[in-house]
Amino acid sequence: MKKFKIKADVTVVTIVVFLVCIVLVSVMLMQFRTVEQTDITAIENMRESELRTALAEWKNRYEDMNKQLEDVNARITEYRKNIEDNEVAADLIEEELQESNLLVGKTDVYGEGVTVTLNNGDMGVQAYDLIDLVNELRYAGAEAISINGIRVLPMTYIVDMGEYTYIMVDLQRLEAPYVVKAIGDKEELTRVLNLDGSGFVDRAVGIKVSVTAENRVEIPKYNGELDVQYMQEAVQE
Amino acid sequence: MIFIAIILGCIVGALIGVNMPMISYTYSGYLAIAIIAALDTVFGGIASTLKKNFDLKIFVSGFFGNAILAILLTYLGQKLNVDIYLAAIVVFVGRMFNNLGIIRRYYIEKFSEKKKDTKKEEQEQVENSEEEKQN
Repeated sequence: MKKFKIKADVTVVTIVVFLVCIVLVSVMLMQFRTVEQTDITAIENMRESELRTALAEWKNRYEDMNKQLEDVNARITEYRKNIEDNEVAADLIEEELQESNLLVGKTDVYGEGVTVTLNNGDMGVQAYDLIDLVNELRYAGAEAISINGIRVLPMTYIVDMGEYTYIMVDLQRLEAPYVVKAIGDKEELTRVLNLDGSGFVDRAVGIKVSVTAENRVEIPKYNGELDVQYMQEAVQE
Repeated sequence: MIFIAIILGCIVGALIGVNMPMISYTYSGYLAIAIIAALDTVFGGIASTLKKNFDLKIFVSGFFGNAILAILLTYLGQKLNVDIYLAAIVVFVGRMFNNLGIIRRYYIEKFSEKKKDTKKEEQEQVENSEEEKQN
C-alpha cells in the first residue's frame, strides 16, 4: 500500500479527502439509522436460521392445536349424540308416562262410551249391583269407568253402608241416582249390557236402569293419592 | 486546508446521511462490512501520512476496493454458507488497531520529545509543515 511515494497535488488530495469523508459519514449515518430503527424481532428482519426455528416451533404448535381441535370436535360430536339419545329416550319415557297415566287414571279422559244410570226402584240399589255393573263393563271392554264422578281404579272398593241408604266408593259416600260412565266401544258395551237374560239390564230386578250410548263421555281423573307401600318391581332375569 | 475539507466533508456527509432513505435490514450487514473496510483504509491512510509515505491512489483504491471486496466476500460467504464476514472483520479491525497503535506511538513520542528537548521543537514544527505539504 505504501510502496510508491508520489507527491500529489494538495488540492487534489483535499478534494479527494472531502469526497471520501462525505461518502464515509453519509454511509455510516445511514447504517446507524437503519440499525437503530429496525425492529430486530420483526419477522422481516429475522435471520434465516431464526426464521427456521420460529417456523418449526409454530408448525409444532399448529399441529398440537390441530390435534386439540380434533379432540374437542370429537367430544362435541359425542355430546351431541348423547343429547340426541337422551332426547329420544326422554320422548319415549314421556310417551310411556302418558300412556301409564291414562291407564292408571291420573288424567281426565274422554271418548265414546255409555252412561248407565241406576236409581232406586222397588228395591234400593246395593253395592253388589254396582260391582256387578263395573265388572260387566270391564268384561265388555271398558277402558275407564267412573261412578258419580269418582274414577274407578284397580284398588277401588264399593261397599254398602247401612241398609239401602248409601254406598261408599273410596271413602266417599254416594247416593242414588248412581251415574256410571264408561269409555269403550259404545256398541259393544250396550250390546253386552242388554244381552237377553244374562245382561245387566235384565238381571237388575227392582231397580231402574237406563243405558245411553254417547259419542263423548268424560271421565275425570282420580283425585286421591296413589301410594305403593308393599309391592316392589320384580326384576326378571 | 485539509482539516477544513475533513470537517466540511463530515458535515455534508451527515446531512446527506440523515436525508437518505433507510435501507433494508437484509443489506445492512453488507454495508456494515463496507464501513469497517473503509474505516480501516482511513486509519491506514492516517498512519501512512505520519510515516510520510501516503499515496492518494492507493488510499482511494483501498477505500473503495476494500469496501467492495468486503461486500463481495460477505455475499460469497452467504452463498457458501461460510461466515467469511467474520474473517473480514477480524482482519480489518486488527489492522485498524495496528494503525491506531502506530498513530498513538507517533504522537506519544512526539509529545515526550517535546517535553524533553524544547530545542527540537522548531525542527518538529518544520517536520509537521513538511507533512502538511506532502498531504
